[in-house]
Parts: sequence; structure tokens; C-alpha cells
Amino acid sequence: MNPYVEGLRLLAPEVVLTVVALAVLVWDLLLKGRDSHKVGYLTLGGLAVTAWLLLGQWRTLGASGGVHDTLAYGMVTLDRFGVFFKLFTVGSLAVVALFVLFDRRERKHGIGEYYFLLLGAAIGIFFMVSTNNLLLLMLGLELLSLASYSLAGFHKGSKRSAEAALKYIVFGGLSAGVMLYGISLLYGLTGTIDLAVMGRGSADGTSVGLAAQFATSPVPVAIAVVLVLAGFAYKVSVVPFHFWTPDVYEGAPTPVTTFLAVASKAAGFAALLRFLGALFLVEGVESAVAAYAERIGLLLALLAAITMTLGNLSALRQSNLKRLLAYSSIAHAGYALMGAAVMSEAGFSASIFYLAAYYFMNLGAFGFLLYFEGVTGSEEVDSLKGLGWRYPLVSCGMVVLLVSLTGLPPTIGFYGKYLLFYESVHAGYAWLAVVAALNSVVSLFYYFRVAKALFLSQGEECPTIAQPVLASVITVLAVFTIVTGLFNRPLQEWSEAGPASLGIANEGPPR
Amino acid sequence: MTEHILSWITFIPLIGMAAILFVPRANVALAKTLAMIATGIPLILATWLYFGLYDKDNGGLQFVRQYDWIAGIRAQYYVGVDGLSLPLVWLTTLLLFIGVPASFGIEKAQKAYYALLLLLEVGINGVFVSQDYFLFYVFWEVMLLPMYFLIGIWGGPRREYAAIKFFLYTLAGSVLMLVAIVALRIDMGAIESVKNPFSIPEMVAMAKSGLLDGSHLPFGGELLGMAFATWVFWFLFVGFAIKVPIVPFHTWLPDAHVEAPTPISVILAGILLKLGGYGMIRACFPIVPEAFHQFAYVLGVIGVVSIVYGAFVALGQTDFKRMVAYSSVSHMGYVLLGLAALTTWGTTGAALQMFNHGTSSAVLFLVVGVIYDRAHHRDLNGFGGLAQVMPKYWALTTLGFFAALGLPGLAGFVSEAMTLLGAYESALPGFKVLVLISVIGIVITAAFLLFAMQRVFLGKLNPKYAGYQDMTFREVFCQAPFLFLCVALGVFPWFLTDWMRASIQLWVDTMKG
Repeated sequence: MNPYVEGLRLLAPEVVLTVVALAVLVWDLLLKGRDSHKVGYLTLGGLAVTAWLLLGQWRTLGASGGVHDTLAYGMVTLDRFGVFFKLFTVGSLAVVALFVLFDRRERKHGIGEYYFLLLGAAIGIFFMVSTNNLLLLMLGLELLSLASYSLAGFHKGSKRSAEAALKYIVFGGLSAGVMLYGISLLYGLTGTIDLAVMGRGSADGTSVGLAAQFATSPVPVAIAVVLVLAGFAYKVSVVPFHFWTPDVYEGAPTPVTTFLAVASKAAGFAALLRFLGALFLVEGVESAVAAYAERIGLLLALLAAITMTLGNLSALRQSNLKRLLAYSSIAHAGYALMGAAVMSEAGFSASIFYLAAYYFMNLGAFGFLLYFEGVTGSEEVDSLKGLGWRYPLVSCGMVVLLVSLTGLPPTIGFYGKYLLFYESVHAGYAWLAVVAALNSVVSLFYYFRVAKALFLSQGEECPTIAQPVLASVITVLAVFTIVTGLFNRPLQEWSEAGPASLGIANEGPPR
Repeated sequence: MTEHILSWITFIPLIGMAAILFVPRANVALAKTLAMIATGIPLILATWLYFGLYDKDNGGLQFVRQYDWIAGIRAQYYVGVDGLSLPLVWLTTLLLFIGVPASFGIEKAQKAYYALLLLLEVGINGVFVSQDYFLFYVFWEVMLLPMYFLIGIWGGPRREYAAIKFFLYTLAGSVLMLVAIVALRIDMGAIESVKNPFSIPEMVAMAKSGLLDGSHLPFGGELLGMAFATWVFWFLFVGFAIKVPIVPFHTWLPDAHVEAPTPISVILAGILLKLGGYGMIRACFPIVPEAFHQFAYVLGVIGVVSIVYGAFVALGQTDFKRMVAYSSVSHMGYVLLGLAALTTWGTTGAALQMFNHGTSSAVLFLVVGVIYDRAHHRDLNGFGGLAQVMPKYWALTTLGFFAALGLPGLAGFVSEAMTLLGAYESALPGFKVLVLISVIGIVITAAFLLFAMQRVFLGKLNPKYAGYQDMTFREVFCQAPFLFLCVALGVFPWFLTDWMRASIQLWVDTMKG
């Protein structure tokens, strides 16, 4: 078959997503900005088709390997790792689109570009998670970032929203620059921008492998790697690159915050894991750079410990639920980083499992926030006082989600933490497991301030407002949190299939 | 049916909870009936299990069910009972059953209350029957959430503070437990002969043969310079000790007790504290026996400090409920002392003490509840002469107090005497001194209970209380089974010891290596 046609077939999900995005834009023009919900439903339909195509790819790709060298001249890599994160993105985007559609405080007309920007960000993520080419990775990242900047400032009239967008641009621009500088150093040192080649070098000698460069010039290599890592750390809001997170999360419209906290963060993790895997852990590189991999692992472990501790301690003082969830998302980035620090296939899969857990818990928690913004018009924890008795279903769902966020059984949050602890202790980071364990106790305090406000405190009387769609989204996510906490074989297999396609030499311990 | 009896006992309350959630909010009577049924059936099943089905000459696990559960980490649904857990399972079902009529006075959000009560029972019984550490831990944590809401929603004025304090303390203990469990699991997973790396009996067997030593972990399992057995032991021990609670981890208990509604205090003192002691016996000491031997003396000292300190603090209280709460700290100290001695008598005494404290503390908290419902305060100095208007109440209280202070002929005496005798017999040299010191605790316990009785019941009648109604039938009904057990087990302790003997012998032999 013609390689271009073949390539288009393999890129079908991306193509569909792009077509839908453009269709949304055009249709919104034809609707003259009226009835924006119509394009919302078009978005959902497009996402469903994309998900169906991705599931097909997941099946045909098989257990390991993937399409590496042929697709778009080797620019795009098609493997289960990427497909997993694409499905993750589509899943979270679908929920975010529902949030936008049923956000009581959002305008009903003239917001067609909301969906267009969300789809654009998703396309960015799609390329970001499925490439070994640092240039394409950078392009995907920038597409995601540009869409996110505009989304953060979507409420043009709101001062906070504008401030969020500006802060996001400044920090984002800086970190993109830092990362690009790191990439340029890597290119200078190795003569390639392809991660698959960069590790061990190419056979024809056009590229010197990083493994060889480690031996001769360790300092520039270390600087380059750290600069690139800083870029990822910014995207997943790891301390000390987290400063933008609370302000942007608080200022952005809640559905956008949800998108940034879930999809964008997971995409950052995907790129980070692929980068670490390709440079330090694949066959042929691993033995040559083992000592460096260990140091990078230690660096990540320290960052994980600092991130979760700082995130949790800062969350303690928040009275604004949105800001509280922002700090909590920083803490969760710290937990998820524990698996990356282990530097093995099993560790990566624990991280990915935790991100999947995070998907359920955080989408649910932000849905809850949106629900009560629609009821009370406030983001303060205190405004929830006594509302648990008037909205029992949503509130009980939220308690389940809080239990999961804290990491208590029988929920998926606990199981995810168990896997992370297991990998950490097995890799000799028992201290990190202890730090993370104590952090859960800290986080209990602020998560249960929400439960306290809902059920323990007395509130004032006010009319009850039903939001059935949001309520069912929250309930479904809460039920999933428990069911997957008790029976999680499929989810665990999916999270293991992703890293298995990266070709990492160190499989890690059997479970 | 009979082979799944443990699962039925554990999960029938869960079915009841689900049923209650579908009851219309207005129909409170139906919710109460369902709660009675859902706690009554497990009680009947547990009684049948105790007297009919259980083979008391066999010290090993009985009614074992073992199924693969989370295959990805080789966790199992693995349940079974032996002579150490069976009496506590029975006590749980009894306490929760009595807890329902004892709660009829509650008027706020009753549907939610009974649903949470049933969820609590699932967690407690689940812990007692689990033989898989992962399952054990899941049940262990499942208890926390209903307890948080039961204290926090239906409690006294400072309930929000007490509820979160309880939650934070117990969680702080259990997260460290989780790290220790993970370390044990990794080591077990690397031993070739192990079939189920989470199985507690297999862990005990491996520990006995010396294979479970952390050698399969990086750095030989060391953590911050501590040897594997040491830190695993302390992480597990602190997790359980907070639950018991043992000085200095006890400060959550008075707050939780004072703020909790009466039935919840009863359940808290009656059975939740036992989980800590039971956890040590089942899932801490036999898994790291060498650390236990190394620190036995420390444990004995902590036990004695709890006995004496708890008693002295109780003596200083003016709040009736706070005094009873501190008496629990003191009484649970015997459990640790008896276990640390590592003699058959000491262990039997500790196991008996857990059961007997369950019944006597239930009586004491019900006693406090009776007067609090009438006077709406608990100030010991604010009463006086109540014996004149409430003779029935006085009689039952006296019996309960005497059981708690260890009067011969009542249950508390048997277990305390056995514990102290067992500790005196201990091969460890210092234990004789410890026993002598702990006798101070007995004297002080008698003192604060009698002093409280004098202030509340004797002396001149405070005219404010002249019109008080004596105990109602419901209140007598709630206390009666526990008082009956206090008397019956004081005279016929073999109704417990016969069931425990074989298992305790097995346990002591395992521990002695």
C-alpha cells in the first residue's frame, strides 16, 4: 500500500480529532454563535469515534512493540503506551466536555471555540505522547500549551481568569525555553533528536550515543537532561516548578482546571516516562548508564518527596476548594512520581496505574466542585456547610472520592498507593514510602474538611437545585472508584501493557 | 451454609446497610427493624458457631475459606477463626446487636446512623476473620470512615474535633502498618516455598523458620539504620498500639469517648479497642518474633505505665465519661503486660481481659448514658444521693463497677489475676517488679470507681434530681446481657478458656520457637 495512505490509516484518531475540531469551528460560525451546546454534542460524538478507533489500535498493536520507523518518516511512534494515554485524554476530555455543557454558570451561546480549543489541546497531547522525536514532542507540547493558555483566560471579563492566563503564559514560555535549550544541548551532544537513537547512538556513526557521551563529558549531559526534565516538571507541576499551578487552577474556568489537572498532567507524565525510558532504561543503553540512571532516580525520589509534602502542607491552609484541589493535584504529582523514580518497567506501570486512579478521583472531585459552584455560586469549603443532607447522592459520592484521594481502602486510590509503595520499597526507597504514608495522614486532614462541611456542620436553608447530568457523572466515577479498588485486574493489565511497549530492560519485580 | 458461615456473619450487615439506604426517609421504624435483623442474624449465627459448630479441641484455624481475589498482587479472600478470634467475633455481634436498641434515643438522621453502624460491624468482623494481610488491612481501614461520621455527626459539642482526631491518630498508625505490610509482602514473595505471600499464617510459619528476615529487600531490609525486624515490628506495633490505645498514644480516646453518643462509646470501648490487642496477637508478634523477644521488656513496661498512668488520670477526672475512658486505658494495659510475659497464663489472661473489658466497659458506658440522658451533664460532682430515687440503676451500676474493679467472683478478677500471675511466672527477670508496680493500678482503679460511686449515688440527694425516673426496660435490656456475662464469666470462666486453650497453647509454642 502507498505509505502515505497507510500512514493516514494509522493516524486515523488524530485525523478524526482534527476534522472534528475544524467542523466545530465552522459549524459554530454557521450557527452565528448561537446554541453552542450543538457543537458540544458534536465534540462528544467525535470523541466517541476517536475512542473507538483507539480501542481498535490497542487490539491490533498486540502485547509489545509497535510501529516505529515507518510512520511519518519515524516522527510518530505508534505503541500501546501512547494509545493508553490517548484513550486517557479522550476519556477525560469527554467528561470535561460534559462539564462545559452542564456548567450552570457558563453562557449557553457563543462558546463554540471552547470545544475547539479543548480539541486542539487534545491533538497536541496525541502527538506529544506518541513520538520519540523531541522536535515533534516539543510541537505537541506547545500546541497543548497554547490551547491551554487561551482556555485559562476563556472568561474574558473575569480578572482572575485573565490573570491566570497571563501567569500561565509567562511560566509556560519560560519553561518551554528552558526545555528547548536542553533539547538543543542534547542534539549538540548526540547529533540526533530521535530518542530511540539518542540513547545508544546510530550504527552508521552519524549519532554518538548518550551512553558514550556520559563517559566523556558527564557535566553537559547532566545539564541537558536536567533542563529537559525541568520542562516536564513544569507540565506536571512538580516542586519547584509548581508556582503557577494554584493561581492558574483557581483562575481558570472549572472545566478548564479539570482538563489541566487531569489530561494535561497525564500527558506530561507520559512524555516524561518515555523520555526516561528511552534515554536510560532501554536495552543496550541500560548497562552503560546504570550509574546515571540511579542518580536520576534518586533526584526524582527527592523531588517526589518534596512535591507531595509541600503540596499537602500548602493545601492544609486553603479555604477555597478549587485552590485546595490545585495543591492536592501537586501532591498527587509527587505520589505518581514515586513510580518514575524507581526507574523500572514495573515502577512506570505503577505510576500509570496511579494516574488512572487519579483520573477517576479528580474528575469526580472537580465535578463535585462544579456542581456546588452551580448551587451556591461559591468555591469556598465553608459554603458547603450542611449541604450533604440536601444533596445526599452527590455528597456521598464525594466522600467516596475523598476516601480515595486520601488513599484509604477499599478504593482505587489505595490500590494505586499500594503499588507505588511496593515498587518503592522494592527498589530500596523505603524512606520514600514512609514519607508518602505520612503525607496521606496530612492529606486526610484537609480532604475531610470537605466531608466535615458537608455532613458535620450546620448550614442555612436554601432551595435545592437539581443537576442530574453532573450528579450522575460524579456518582458513576465514585462507584468506579470503589469497584476498581476491589476488582482491578483489567485496569492493572492495561497499565502494565503501556510501559511494556517501551522496551525497558529492567522489568522490575514480579508482583 | 456452614462452610461460609464467617462470610455470612461478616457481610449480612452490609446487605442490611444496602437495604436501609433504600428505605424512605420518613419510615424510621422500618430502618430500625432492618438494623435489628441485620445485626441479629449475625449474632444468632455467631452463637451457633460458638456453641455448635466450632471444635474447641482444635487450636488451628477453622471454617477456612480461601479464594483468589486480586490476582495481580496475589491477594486472597482468606477467612478463618480460631480460639483467639472466635470469642471476639461473638462479642462484636452481641455489642452491635445491643447497639441498635441502645440507639433508639437518637433522633437525628436515623437512617444514615443505622447504615453506618452496620458498615462498622462489617469492618470489625472482617478484621477478626481475615487471614490475609491485604484483606485484613482493607477491613481495618473500612472501620474508620463510619466511626468518623458516627462521632462527628451524632456526637457532643466538640464532636468535629474529636472525630478528626480519632481519624488522624488511627490513620497515622495504619499507614505505617501499610509500609511494614508491603515490606513483609515483598520478602514473602521472594521465598520460593510460599504459596500466598499475603497469608498471615504463612508469614508466621516463615517467621518461625527464620526465612522472613528481610534478606530479599535492598540493603537487607534496613530502613534508616534500623534492622528489618526492628522497624517492621515497631511500625506494626504502633499501628495496633494506637488502637488499643497504649500510653503515650492514648490521647484521642478520651476525646472520642466523651463526644461520641453512648452506643458508639460502648462499641468503641467494647470492641474497637480489642482490635488493637487482637492485631498484636494475630498479625504483629508472631510475624517478627525475634523483635518481640528483644523488646518484650519494653512492652511490659509500656503495659504497666498504661495501667498505672491510666488509673491515676481516671482518679483525677470530674467528667464521668472521661473517667470511664481513662479506665479503659488502664484496663487495656493488662493485655499488653500479659502478652509481653509470654506465658500460657499471661496470654490466656490477656485474651480473657480483652473479652471481659468488652463487657464491663460496655456496662460502664451504658451507665453513663443513662444518667446523661436525664441530667444532660456528666459532672461527677454535680450529682449525689441518686441511690434514693433510682435504686435499680444503683444496683446495676454497683455490679458493673465491681466487675470493672476486679472483685473476686466477677469476670474482671479472673482475667486480671491470670494476667498478673502469668506475668509473675515470666522467664524474664524484671517482670516480677512490673507486676508489683501494676498492683498500684488495681488499688487506684478501686479508688476512682468507689469515689465516683460515692459522689453520684450516696450522700444527700440533690433536690434537682428528686423526680428522676428509674431505668426503663430498654435501658435494663441493653445492660442485662453484659452484666450477665460479667457474673457468669466470673464464676465459669471456662466458657471462654476452654475455647481458647488449644489456640493459645499453639500461639505460645509458636512464639517461644
